[in-house]
Amino acid sequence: GRPVVPAAPSVRRLAREIGIDIHAVHGTGIAGRISEEDVRRTAGTPSVQ
Amino acid sequence: MTNNFDYDVLVIGAGPGGYHAAIRASQLGLKTACVERGAVGGVCLNIGCIPTKALLHAAETMQASKHAAEFGLTFSGQALDIARLNGWKDSIVKKLTGGVSGLFKANKVTLLTGQASFVDDHTVQVGDKTYTAANIIIATGSDPAKLPGLEVDQQQIVDSTGALVMPDPVPARMLCVGGGVIGFEFAQVYNNLGSQVKIIEFLPSVIPGADADAVKEFSKIMSRQGIEIVTQMKANRAEKKSDGVHVELENVKTGEKTTEVFDRVLVAVGRRPRTDGLNPEQAGVTVTERGFIPADKQQRTNVPHIFSIGDVAGNPMLAHKAMKEGLVAAEVIAGKPAEQDAVAIPGVVYTNPELAWVGLTEAEAQEKGYEVKTGVFPMSASGRAMTLQATEGFVKMVVEKDTDLLLGVHIVAPHASDMLAEAGLALEMAATATDISLTIHAHPTLGESILEAAEASHKQAIHIVNR
Repeated sequence: GRPVVPAAPSVRRLAREIGIDIHAVHGTGIAGRISEEDVRRTAGTPSVQ
Repeated sequence: MTNNFDYDVLVIGAGPGGYHAAIRASQLGLKTACVERGAVGGVCLNIGCIPTKALLHAAETMQASKHAAEFGLTFSGQALDIARLNGWKDSIVKKLTGGVSGLFKANKVTLLTGQASFVDDHTVQVGDKTYTAANIIIATGSDPAKLPGLEVDQQQIVDSTGALVMPDPVPARMLCVGGGVIGFEFAQVYNNLGSQVKIIEFLPSVIPGADADAVKEFSKIMSRQGIEIVTQMKANRAEKKSDGVHVELENVKTGEKTTEVFDRVLVAVGRRPRTDGLNPEQAGVTVTERGFIPADKQQRTNVPHIFSIGDVAGNPMLAHKAMKEGLVAAEVIAGKPAEQDAVAIPGVVYTNPELAWVGLTEAEAQEKGYEVKTGVFPMSASGRAMTLQATEGFVKMVVEKDTDLLLGVHIVAPHASDMLAEAGLALEMAATATDISLTIHAHPTLGESILEAAEASHKQAIHIVNR
């Protein structure tokens, strides 16, 4: 995938805090940017992998 | 933390990485000690970033005073007191290293003086004492790489450490072996102070890792300042004679050999990780063939409670990278979810103008499969640059074509290193070129050139004709 994760450093840290792989988060923002909401939504979704 | 050990964290090395790790560990409530065999502050403060920048500033001030004639300011005679220059530089180093010692005290970090050597994976010997720690952070740094045939005597043939002591008189002819950041910075210092300087680089291009267009512009400016740059050239051997150092140079492509005479030769062909005396094998820590101690994103070595940061952990060998890795290691030890996840690590050559970059070069972006667009804004179109007599160079922005996401920024300009901070934040925040172009930048400033480069990537720059 994309080497540059389109998420702010604080959002990337949040993902680590709640145990989410940021690369697995679907960004809903402009240019696919990942928001805090996107991370929290991913955390609440049962893993399909 | 367990209390069976002398310390929760033992940091080996008090350079940028080491002191950042030690202070952050202590801030997070961990009982911390830092071992240093030399001077606190490490290479950066003592024989690296700081003293070179001091010399560059002095040399630039000399140059600037000459350019002041353009607006009517002339000086009757210019004299440089070399002893005073060296003394001023040393005083800055002393102040900053004293500052680190003060920060250690204020943060309750114990400083242990001596060579650290692993006894086992929880025990380190320092002098005739041994200390145990639950976690150990290796931050031993790097040394200048040696070049066979050119033995450094720190007088006529110097490495970056020897080059920091400006001789009196300034050498008439100077050779810099290695066209990297260190080579160019010293080349400009000596050139500005009156030396005739030649840089030779083994590779086809100088400043490897920087954007090709930026390097081309930068090289052109350096050449115009009087620095001779020769690529695909190597130095085979040097012989000290009464009239100077005779250096045999070889054209890498043709094999043609010539001998030239210099008063001072700088060997700046890279740096090597430093693990001498450390005995990492006693702790079962993996060391690569080239001497690095590799670490994962949490800065852990193959031994999970032993961490490796900074130059010894791997490239790029930059102070700010070491600092970040030090913070990550300390936070991981404290149980925080830290990771070295930087999108980009900025690089800077502190000459005047500076060459500074962050993120992907145009070529790297293409190699990674991005379809890119670029925006270039020349400093010659910047009002602020004109008022500063600083119209050489440009800002080049590399942007992903479809998404408009910023991929890299490359600057040749005075204060490019400071302008770069905005670009670094933009990359970390996943900004688009549009985000930058919609941000009001103060006018007149050099930083506006970043805004205009973003506009140029949309072919909507105002102060230049868009093509």
